[in-house]
Amino acid sequence: MAFKKLDVRGLKCPIPIVKAKKEIDQLTAGDQLEVTATDPGSVTDFQGWVKTNKHTVLKEQREAKDDTGRDVYIHLLERIK
Amino acid sequence: MAEAHQDVPAVPTVEVAELLPKLDGGEKILILDVRNDDEFAEWKLETRKPFETTHVPYFDFIEDAEGSIAKVPKGRDVVVLCAQGGSSEMVVDMLGEAGIPSRNIKGGMVAYGDFLDPVKVPLTAEEQARFEIWQINRRGKGCLGYVVRSGLEAVVVDPARHIGWYEAFVGKLGARIVRVLDTHVHADHVSGGPALRRKIGVPYFVASGEEFELKQDVTPLADGEELRLGGTPGVSIEVRILKTPGHTPGSTSYLVGGKYLLSGDTIFVASVGRPDLGGHVVEWGQALFKTLKERIATLPDDVVVLPAHYASLEEMRADGVVAGRLGDLRRNVPEMQIATAEEFVEAVKAAVKTPPAAYTSMIKYNLGLLTADDEKIGEWELGKNQCAASAKKRMAIPTE
Repeated sequence: MAFKKLDVRGLKCPIPIVKAKKEIDQLTAGDQLEVTATDPGSVTDFQGWVKTNKHTVLKEQREAKDDTGRDVYIHLLERIK
Repeated sequence: MAEAHQDVPAVPTVEVAELLPKLDGGEKILILDVRNDDEFAEWKLETRKPFETTHVPYFDFIEDAEGSIAKVPKGRDVVVLCAQGGSSEMVVDMLGEAGIPSRNIKGGMVAYGDFLDPVKVPLTAEEQARFEIWQINRRGKGCLGYVVRSGLEAVVVDPARHIGWYEAFVGKLGARIVRVLDTHVHADHVSGGPALRRKIGVPYFVASGEEFELKQDVTPLADGEELRLGGTPGVSIEVRILKTPGHTPGSTSYLVGGKYLLSGDTIFVASVGRPDLGGHVVEWGQALFKTLKERIATLPDDVVVLPAHYASLEEMRADGVVAGRLGDLRRNVPEMQIATAEEFVEAVKAAVKTPPAAYTSMIKYNLGLLTADDEKIGEWELGKNQCAASAKKRMAIPTE
């Protein structure tokens, strides 16, 4: 099972979701994608998106600081089918 | 589709400044709101006439373009709204490809929150010959600032952080800014006062009270002091300093021409200021009661109250100004009729709500104790604080 990372720091909506969807489309069931974003709006956007997307779930979301001290929002997605 | 979005030619747009008056006037425009459910529920455009909205989150357009496009009513004047104007641009592009014309609201809710609408306060003919007062309405936040001009001189009161706007506006009035005043240390937005002072080198005043450290370069003003504004022979107006502690210990009101009270957050058109933001609701509540009974009570009924906030567009008069005659407020505002300090404190305590987390940051920033970049300030002011606080609470819980 693959584990991929996607860095969308500094990018504003819709780009984080657009890029995440593109990555998820390449994955197979059981694979995970960890998205790192700086847009606080991404928290509720990812929650909303997985309700529409039928083959992805949101496993975890957390806040952290990146190596430059910026607030980041980390979204762990898993493809389920 | 997705990646191509970044390279698509510019889509048709509409500016907030152009759209709001049309919605206020009741034009039949359909707003397609493509924000997520939480953002849609938390913060909405407010207009004087109701407008029609269709809500379809932008990620639905990404997942199911056809189904989402089908939800957009046909044959309507459609404008698309999102948080910052990026997702709505994508949706306008998708609708265009499907043969549905629409326009993108440039900058989205961020632009709405930053938009400043100057409204002229009506004065008598005699007053107009000497001065003018502009109420600067920050519609998206319900914040009101003021520009008072007499002759070639103007003072700016409670400026938002968009300082270039004030310079340009006063320039268009044919005057120059000679002083910047804040009514108090604001908690809900970042003041443009210190930045204006630094940029144009004029005196700036704000008072924090003794409890708070204030690291701003201020030119002190005493209670009862009068500033004279004019700069042209025979044309002038006085601005009297009235210390009105309560909402904050340093709260100051400015009485223009003995009649127009720039009251800050001391009294509003439909209520009084909340004295709980510093965590001393009893002390500040008592101070506010004293201010109302000993200070405001001495002013005549004909005084026009021009506050720093409004809660609803219902507080706006037909002429677009948010103002109230003091005599009317004495009759209509429940808090102004309370007879004892004890009852008053109980009443304001009962109304206490938890303030957004970013208020602490903005108070510190306005005191000069904290710095932040524009992006961070934008998040604070957006109420992103509410999102960050609620985001924290509602973050998906790790499974297994």
